[in-house]
Amino acid sequence: MSDPPAIEFQHVSKTFGNRKVLVDVSFKLGKGEALCILGRSGTGKTVTLKLMDGLLKPDSGKVCIESEDIAQVGEKDLSRVRRHIGFLFQSGALFDSFTVGENLALPLHRLDKTKSSAEIQQAIEETLKRVGLDHDKDKMPAELSGGMSKRAGLARALVLNPTLLLADEPTSGLDQITASEIDNLLIKVKKDLHTTLVIVTHDVRSARRVADHIAILDQGRLVGFGTASELEKSDNEVVRQLVSESCI
Amino acid sequence: MSMLRDFFTFIGKVSCFGVKALVGAFQPPLEWEFFLGQIEEIGWRSLPLILAAGFALGVVMSMHTRGTLVQFGAEAMIPTLQSAAFFNELGPLVTALLVAGRVGAAIGAGLTNMRVTEQIDAIESLSVDSFKMLVVTRIVACIFVLPLLTVFMDFASLAGGFFSEHATSHISLQLYMTSAFKTVEWANFIPPTLKTSVFGLIIGTVSGYFGYTTNEGSQGVQRAATNSVVLSSLLIIVVDVILVKVIFFFFPGQAI
Repeated sequence: MSDPPAIEFQHVSKTFGNRKVLVDVSFKLGKGEALCILGRSGTGKTVTLKLMDGLLKPDSGKVCIESEDIAQVGEKDLSRVRRHIGFLFQSGALFDSFTVGENLALPLHRLDKTKSSAEIQQAIEETLKRVGLDHDKDKMPAELSGGMSKRAGLARALVLNPTLLLADEPTSGLDQITASEIDNLLIKVKKDLHTTLVIVTHDVRSARRVADHIAILDQGRLVGFGTASELEKSDNEVVRQLVSESCI
Repeated sequence: MSMLRDFFTFIGKVSCFGVKALVGAFQPPLEWEFFLGQIEEIGWRSLPLILAAGFALGVVMSMHTRGTLVQFGAEAMIPTLQSAAFFNELGPLVTALLVAGRVGAAIGAGLTNMRVTEQIDAIESLSVDSFKMLVVTRIVACIFVLPLLTVFMDFASLAGGFFSEHATSHISLQLYMTSAFKTVEWANFIPPTLKTSVFGLIIGTVSGYFGYTTNEGSQGVQRAATNSVVLSSLLIIVVDVILVKVIFFFFPGQAI
């Protein structure tokens, strides 16, 4: 019997007030694969990520993580599912009153109560080394540059060795070189830890480098899903434009 | 009419928010680490402001009352008047208004900033109840800290009054304090001091509500800070009238 998909959206719709943000979205993503979600601003990309982490609940449809519909589970089960999910927020979302090290310690304290203090410190140091911030453990978030904040946010998302990593615009606001370094980190995470990646981005070049599949959202609808070369041949002009921007 | 309806709807929402926080305070797990952090932030860091303001008010109060009481040959009453004014009303009210200004703005702006920068989402993504961690701890810390700060305000004002009187009439510390505490009873001190817990609840709830529920970028941060201070201060003054009446009801001796 084949493994269940890491993520499955079944006819998911989400509305805020009168605004339909997602309309009947369905797709599957296998374990260890990378999906980049592209689309214009306000087309529901970040909402899609937040649905995957249970931060939002769909109005209708199912959001399944390894066959478990997380919209239907209670807080305790959601906590168990989240133990295996890392979330890199757009701004890094580091807790500004904590040092970088304390930011990484929080998920370990809250979601993995089996580790001793020494093991927690070791996990923090190893994860910071992985993202190249091994000398910045005691810094406050305000002391970090944009790229370093993204790396620290990534380290916090990775500290529990998640099987699913959700990243919201990980390269936005960064220069080309730093953006490329973040991409390399994501590729390395996928390769070394077999982590499933879901990345929301506007950077087509980055999407083409990292993703096995690209999903295109337009006005809340999934108008394209496939590899970059498949999408280039799409009948939908929005899909072709979004995927081929890097060729310009 | 619709403005009135909106006002009561708003008051209802804030009240529900406060009740939810109070219920949350009694439900484990308790966020002790964050609570103690807020005690430090709200209490310890407000202390210099409270002590300085109390001392200065004590000096000013003493200077003002001296001018009047001297005309009646009653300057010996200055310490008594000073302690009565501060223990009964000025200490609790001024402390609450100062804390509303310093802490209310900080809570409102801080929580809105956390919302805008997705820190609250990040906390939720760790399956942590962000309301309990961020709002309940702040409200309970305000409730706990206000009476303590009021005691410091009361005694700083007496110190300021003594400083002013000693400079003018060379009164001894012992005589000043004996005179100040001559008519003070527990009923003059405990109920007015404890009523500041209600002011703490107001400051924490109002600023927590504006901070936690606003999501409008940098303008929202500014608005949350301003609204927190303005509404907290207004409610403190209005509720103080009611609480004074309640204290007079339970301790009729105070209402002379």
